[in-house]
Amino acid sequence: MTKDPRDMARRVLGDDPFAAQPAQKSEAARAPSNKGKKLDARKKKAPAPKKRTAPPGAPAPADDAASVNIAAADDVASVNIAAADDVASVNIAAPEDVVSVNIAEADDVASVNIAAAEAVATAAVSAPSLRVDFAPSRDVAAEIAALQVQLRALRVEVEGQPEHREALAGLAEVLRGEGEAVDVEAPAVTGLQAPEHVEADESSPTGVSRELLSSDFYLRQWGRIALRDRGEEVDPFGYDPEVARRWEKTLDFLYDRWLKVEVEGIEHVPATGRVALVANHGGAIPVDGVVLATALRKEHPAQRQLRWLAEDFVFHFPYAGTWANRLGAVRACQENAERLLARECCVALFPEGVKGISKRYRDRYKLQRFGRGGHIKLALRTRTPLVPVTIVGSDDAHPLLGQSPLAAKLLGLPYLPVTPTFPWLGPLGMVPLPTRWKIVFGAPLRLDEYEPSQADDDVLVGRLNERLRATIQETLDRELRGRSGWFGIGG
Amino acid sequence: MRDSSDSAGLKRAPAPRRTLAITGADAFLGRNLIGLLEDDDRIGRIVALDVKQPSTAGPKTRFYKVDLTQPSVDARLAEILAAEGVDTFLHMAFLASPTHASAWAHELESVGTMHVLNACKERPVRKFILWSHTVLYGASPSNPNFLVESQPLRGNPESRFLRDKIDAEEVVARFAQQMPGTLVTVLRLAPILGPTVHNFITRYLGRKVVPTLAGFDPLWQLLHEVDALAAFKRAINVDVPGTFNIVGDGVLPLSTIIRLAGRTRVSVPHPMAYPMTRALWAAQLSEAPPTFLDYLRWLCVADGERARTALKFVPSFTTREAVLDYAGAQSLRDANLLRSVG
Repeated sequence: MTKDPRDMARRVLGDDPFAAQPAQKSEAARAPSNKGKKLDARKKKAPAPKKRTAPPGAPAPADDAASVNIAAADDVASVNIAAADDVASVNIAAPEDVVSVNIAEADDVASVNIAAAEAVATAAVSAPSLRVDFAPSRDVAAEIAALQVQLRALRVEVEGQPEHREALAGLAEVLRGEGEAVDVEAPAVTGLQAPEHVEADESSPTGVSRELLSSDFYLRQWGRIALRDRGEEVDPFGYDPEVARRWEKTLDFLYDRWLKVEVEGIEHVPATGRVALVANHGGAIPVDGVVLATALRKEHPAQRQLRWLAEDFVFHFPYAGTWANRLGAVRACQENAERLLARECCVALFPEGVKGISKRYRDRYKLQRFGRGGHIKLALRTRTPLVPVTIVGSDDAHPLLGQSPLAAKLLGLPYLPVTPTFPWLGPLGMVPLPTRWKIVFGAPLRLDEYEPSQADDDVLVGRLNERLRATIQETLDRELRGRSGWFGIGG
Repeated sequence: MRDSSDSAGLKRAPAPRRTLAITGADAFLGRNLIGLLEDDDRIGRIVALDVKQPSTAGPKTRFYKVDLTQPSVDARLAEILAAEGVDTFLHMAFLASPTHASAWAHELESVGTMHVLNACKERPVRKFILWSHTVLYGASPSNPNFLVESQPLRGNPESRFLRDKIDAEEVVARFAQQMPGTLVTVLRLAPILGPTVHNFITRYLGRKVVPTLAGFDPLWQLLHEVDALAAFKRAINVDVPGTFNIVGDGVLPLSTIIRLAGRTRVSVPHPMAYPMTRALWAAQLSEAPPTFLDYLRWLCVADGERARTALKFVPSFTTREAVLDYAGAQSLRDANLLRSVG
């Protein structure tokens, strides 16, 4: 074991991780301080380590990074190296604009070199044993020189501390144990690889600022913890993949165990491209949209994401509307449907609308009027295949006993259903009864033979609409024949 | 700010060294726009119309003290337009935030626009640009996710703030029909957010504890202040009549915006929130009257596609970036405040 940790690291890496980048020469040479020059002269002899361009704010959750080099990055908004247990050396050389450098929670940082940065706004190394802080000043050259001195003192200090020597020695051992020549491209530092879009955006004048603003630095500063349970961004219609991921387990339980959903003919849903699923609607508190979405996610080979169109009144309800929206529900209207289909989405439509969910329990599984054929017009205009979907079980899940217009008015809601469980059990009453569900996907109805202009042909639209309705009603009747009257349980 | 996009089939505005008149010259948009236009070679003279001289006025700017609430202001405006040979008129004398002085606001916005249009009829200008707002569409659960320009303006009629601006839009639309010789461009801007702008949105997000409505988390769309100015520059430089939604890319749930701004959210049940806000508004303790609670409940997001294709306006900040930019400046302000107090 050599006493000098730098020597150890050098040996292990077959390179000098403390060497400065070539680009640093000119900058450091400008420094008025002799010490800076001296340091520089010493470094000139050493071969330059492998260059790696850092993306702005790339975090390196490196547990054992022997060396982290960031070289010649033109615009680095921030460099953050967090939670690194053992970083032998950190070199940041010749970046033109480094806004901030943070090395936090590093247990053992042997050395930090920040050289020849034209504009380093702040640099902070906070570790139990090391601390380098310097405030921004106009005279960058003098600042660099001062920093070099400080760093050198620190390095001496580190070398004088046996525990750090030991830590580095241990690191060297570990690295040596994994192979004689350890590749610098070890997974420990992959976090510093540049993303592809950096180059692409550089050409536009706003590209640089956009890059800076979307850096992790901002996220870490303003809400890493706060944004834990949600996506940083939602899609234009409000779907949040992070929220959807968090609900996956609950929905899987609802789907597999609670409702015991059975699926037939899911192959009728194409793997790509726009498609509209037309389904019957049921249950006073409709959950068929989210169950259908779960079915497609779990059972469809392409795991198609479903966007379903929900009635306006859903969005009047506190919590329910927001929840449904984050999971993929969108308000039902022609504009939204057209936009979603233009994005080649898989869209579920419930043409019965409120009539479907506000029908009495005795009318269960009797299809109501299919709107005014808006879905057919939509399909004709956008040339979308329609897949008839029959959902059995939804009408039993929330049997409607009645409505409470007075309570609805008091709460400022357009409609308040009364079911055996809701509102008696409060929010728990929203959970559907454990009925057995079956979802049957029918053969797609392709309207390619018609012209988009025929969407105005009311007779044709009416005929096609009736055909679709009859298909779903037939399937409903067929499925209900073999089903137990007791919510499908045991049948 | 360089304008590089005057290409691709759009008619270039003719004759360099044009004269431009701006009402509301000392408000945020007017002040910054004057500063930008001072550096623009295509503009020969800027006629600043306001009750107070804008601080950004340079050698090109000529200031006229004009109060749009005065009854005889249309004659005076016509005189100024004729004397200066104004080519383009920017009407931006609108309040960015709701005010308690609603009678005065009505005189300024609704009646003031009428005065301005009368002057522009008496002494026609080549181009008329109006600052309008996407909030005028109104928040409603029956809104489509993206409102297009043809959508009727359904802002809550109980709100004087919205009604006066809808009035102004209506009279401008009528003016456009009556005066075929004048190009009328209406820019409907999403709520503006940024590091230097002050309005009721920045004050709302600047609270330590931000109230929201329990169970409601609508998608919001914001516009960065730089993009707002860029849109007006764009409208000045190219001749494209019509109405355009000027919005930032992307939407964010309100709760995410509050978290990105580093604030804490407190949820209030909506049946309670309306009377509470009414009381707070009366006591001058809230940023906006209760009619604005609709925007904390439901969607009001506009589609910027038309501005993108026809006006060739592309925002450089997304909604999220606008929030982050605002939050950065706001936290600095907070820190400075702490330092000055402590």
